[in-house]
Amino acid sequence: MKILDHKLRRELWANGWLLLAILCIIVVGVACFVSMGSSYNNLTEAKARYYRQCRMADFSIELKKVPEADLRPVAELPGVAEIRPRIQFFSTVDLDAVSEPLNALVLSMPDRHERVLNDVVVQRGGYFTERRENEVIVNDAFAEANNLAPGDWVRLVLNNRSQELYIVGTAISSEFVYMLAPGTIVPDPEHFGVFFLKQSYAEDVFDFDGAANQVLGRLVPDAPWTTREILDRAEQLLGDFGVFTTIPLADQASNKYLSQEIGGLRSFAVFMPMIFLAVAALVLNVLLTRLAEQQRTVVGTLKALGYSDGQVFAHFLKFGLAVGLTGGLAGCALGYVLAELMTMMYQTIFEFPELRNRFYPGLMAAAVSISLACAVVGSLRGTRAVLRLKPAKAMRPKPPKRGGKILLERVTILWNRLSVGWRMVFRSVVRSRLRSLAGIFAAAMGAAVLASGFMMIEATYYLIDFQFRWLLKSDVDLTFSDERGRDALLEAANLPGVRLAEPVLNVACTFENGHFRHKGAVTGLQAGATLTVPRDTQARPIRVPLVGLAMSGKLAEMLHLEAGDMVTMHPTKGLRHPQQVPVVEISDSYMGTAVYTDIDYLSRLVGEEFALTGVQLQMETDPGERDAFNRQLKRLPGVRGVANRQSMVKSIEDTIILSMNVFIFVLVGFAGVIFFGSILNSSLVSLAERQREVATLRVLGYGPWQIGSLLFRESLVLTAAGTALGMPLGYLLTVAMSMSYDSELLRFPVVSSATTWVMTAVLAVLFTVLAYLFVQLAIHRMNWLEALQAKE
Amino acid sequence: MTTSPLLRLESVDKVFQMGEVAVRALNDVSLEIREGEFLVMVGPSGSGKSTILNIVGGLDTATEGRVFFRDREMTSFTAAELTRYRRDTVGFVFQFYNLVPNLSARENVMVSTEISDDPLDVDEALEMVGLEERLDHFPAQMSGGEQQRVAIARALAKNPDLLLCDEPTGALDVATGKLVLRLLVDLKTRLGKTVVLITHNSAIAQVADRVIRLRSGQVVEVAENPEPLPPEEVTW
Ligand SMILES: Nc1ncnc2c1ncn2[C@@H]1O[C@H](COP(=O)(O)OP(=O)(O)OP(=O)(O)O)[C@@H](O)[C@H]1O
Ligand SMILES: [Mg+2]
Repeated sequence: MKILDHKLRRELWANGWLLLAILCIIVVGVACFVSMGSSYNNLTEAKARYYRQCRMADFSIELKKVPEADLRPVAELPGVAEIRPRIQFFSTVDLDAVSEPLNALVLSMPDRHERVLNDVVVQRGGYFTERRENEVIVNDAFAEANNLAPGDWVRLVLNNRSQELYIVGTAISSEFVYMLAPGTIVPDPEHFGVFFLKQSYAEDVFDFDGAANQVLGRLVPDAPWTTREILDRAEQLLGDFGVFTTIPLADQASNKYLSQEIGGLRSFAVFMPMIFLAVAALVLNVLLTRLAEQQRTVVGTLKALGYSDGQVFAHFLKFGLAVGLTGGLAGCALGYVLAELMTMMYQTIFEFPELRNRFYPGLMAAAVSISLACAVVGSLRGTRAVLRLKPAKAMRPKPPKRGGKILLERVTILWNRLSVGWRMVFRSVVRSRLRSLAGIFAAAMGAAVLASGFMMIEATYYLIDFQFRWLLKSDVDLTFSDERGRDALLEAANLPGVRLAEPVLNVACTFENGHFRHKGAVTGLQAGATLTVPRDTQARPIRVPLVGLAMSGKLAEMLHLEAGDMVTMHPTKGLRHPQQVPVVEISDSYMGTAVYTDIDYLSRLVGEEFALTGVQLQMETDPGERDAFNRQLKRLPGVRGVANRQSMVKSIEDTIILSMNVFIFVLVGFAGVIFFGSILNSSLVSLAERQREVATLRVLGYGPWQIGSLLFRESLVLTAAGTALGMPLGYLLTVAMSMSYDSELLRFPVVSSATTWVMTAVLAVLFTVLAYLFVQLAIHRMNWLEALQAKE
Repeated sequence: MTTSPLLRLESVDKVFQMGEVAVRALNDVSLEIREGEFLVMVGPSGSGKSTILNIVGGLDTATEGRVFFRDREMTSFTAAELTRYRRDTVGFVFQFYNLVPNLSARENVMVSTEISDDPLDVDEALEMVGLEERLDHFPAQMSGGEQQRVAIARALAKNPDLLLCDEPTGALDVATGKLVLRLLVDLKTRLGKTVVLITHNSAIAQVADRVIRLRSGQVVEVAENPEPLPPEEVTW
């Protein structure tokens, strides 16, 4: 078959532009597969390694206070391999260089390094020494962001007293791969840090002699019960110690985000390439059908000369294989580079001791095979049709396609108004059915990718607006370490620069409806609160009920509750009597499972007259007063958390805008390749098929632009049809994505605004125009005189 | 000259179904092709010449009737057997040359030598048709006669027993046509090939050992020609 290979090479060369268009699509598809697959592997492996290195706990139980001796029954539960009591407190840090107090999570670690559960990996400096009792290890990102180094001192408020602590080292831990301060969605290492204290010092300073308020645990690999069952048993055993919440590893915040990202990568690594390769196969199909058609006589001659069907078939298949192999290899190379970039990006988002991009031969082999398979599938149809002909028949020119009326022609009122040009366009679209279908399919995929991408972006902005502008309207939220009375509200209201202060009472509790149980919290707001405004699904404000609860839709769904139902509430505070309360309203929220009620009502439920755990503040705009406010705030006792909404929103938006920009860039690029590649291909094939017609038109006096306009209109019709189909597809895709991302932690709304649809349409047309410019170039270059003289 | 039939057609019908219309291209055709003879079939355009040649060459199948190659019934050949037959036994020269456009003259001949068991030397075959100077030219760079000669070289190069030529001189001027005829006659006399040539030009029949006349898909006359003329002496 050597000689036929010459023929093949020359044909590949002669169809350069067409092949380039298909190659682009395949390369991007394969690159998607390789880059996402590699990133998936990179993250999965890094995660497994890191979790092993730090001995990541399988669960944690948070409670008020428990003597370590009382934890024995938990340690002895079947399936529990090991437990570790730990002291954990939220607090604030006072850095001289920063005016406002920053948030801290304080955790106890053994005085001498042991390989305990949730161990740390020291980055700079070292582990605790025996020189001082008040040594601290700071999480590396916080130290970096605030220019702290081993040898520096920091001031933390511990148990209402300001304490000077000596930094011995910085560290990272598998618990904080994705480090989130409570209440936010992106890491903000500048404003939130983790501080590891010596166990002995923590027990001392928090009055926790031989006690803990958190239990970490590891399970044996083949535990007889599920994690949930074990946690439920543990909760029963520890009932007297006020269990706030039990968290299996799957729900641990950092792990959840990381796993979600990994899961997302896996589905995209399958889904995106599927779109691209399907489009590529179709487009290749169009090209090869045309190539085989064009070579009817050659096929007939070869068969007459004694070539077998298999040999001729193999010859055409090689064409597809050449495309598939080139696309596969180039895609692997591009994919590797992209994986490198993605890994670099992940290094900034996630904190791993070691996250590197590796070369996965298996993945690459799979990528090339998939690419080859797609090319073969794309080659089959067109080639087969010609092969089935007997050589005598194949050598005769193809009988003309039946030129019957197309459907549109029957709508005479419309048809008669169309210019001859448009009539040609519509006839051509309808008659070359396969090519048109391929064009429409590609456009639909491109539009779906664009639309769903834009919808995701809008959803993200909507989510930020909803959570941080409409639901929470305060400038600063203070959380106290203990329950306080009205005096705390007054005190906060009197801080300099405070315009308005509203109380908040947060009570951890377990909700129960029949056998549906869920741990959560209720937030009490004052009647007519203006700084937290719960909203319904249309983002309209909800009046917080004076009696009963306004429950987030997600929690109501988990508990199988509807507005008007009763729910049993077991508070973990105060009297801890179970209470039957009505669910009055269903509220919407995209983070967590908030439940709102009236603060007086909630106080009474937990057996108090009036209690608060936090204050929301609205500030004057004067920046001078802000400094005074911060100074006083640093001295305010009993504050365990300060949330500055503006800086929070800013850090969220900075992070998200950056990643959104990357996302848009990639998205538009992907969609562009699909649109551009398929349109270029179908137009060029159309041009080649109609050389005769084009030549005749030229003889009649049509100019190249007029001919181009015919092809352009044809592409535009296909793009329009495809985009119209792709938009609803994109919508459905977004709904599916939003459903797959639906978790207790974070949910994505489905938002569709005019911007999405207009942008999708505009881009679709833009890509069509771009592809058309190339086609126009081909028309200008076409030697139509030759086409006219060519026999056939 | 032997007279045992190489090929035999028995009551062959060929009907082309085109949608509603059926075209009867061959109607009860019986004939034989003898080993080593130079057979010419003549008939007006549309009389079924190409159709017979296609059936004989294994490019198409008969609708009715039987075709024998030596003692084997071709009408019951499998696709693979037909392919083998085309590959090993037949050299086909097409009415419209049918060269592969993006292969050079030499490469076009190699297309057929590569699949054959006992091919001639490619350059030799091209030399026989007088094209040793044009080896690397592409079909588009050659005249019709030159292309026709490449097509003949391609058929020859496989070294087949049976050479089937569909109107090989149809597109050529008289002088070139005579050159091509000479070539074919030489193949018969010097290499002992069986040559079947079809034409609508009765004058060419004078070079044949035997002439079969066709009209409207039927054989109207079979005539022996004991004294074939050398091609140079034929005029048309
Ligand atoms: N594939 C086909 N489909 C339909 N009709 C066909 C087909 N092939 C041949 N015919 C018809 O069969 C008849 C015989 O055709 P054939 O090609 O054998 O004629 P011919 O004698 O070779 O003519 P010419 O000298 O013009 O080449 C013609 O009427 C032709 O139209
Ligand atoms: Mg003919």
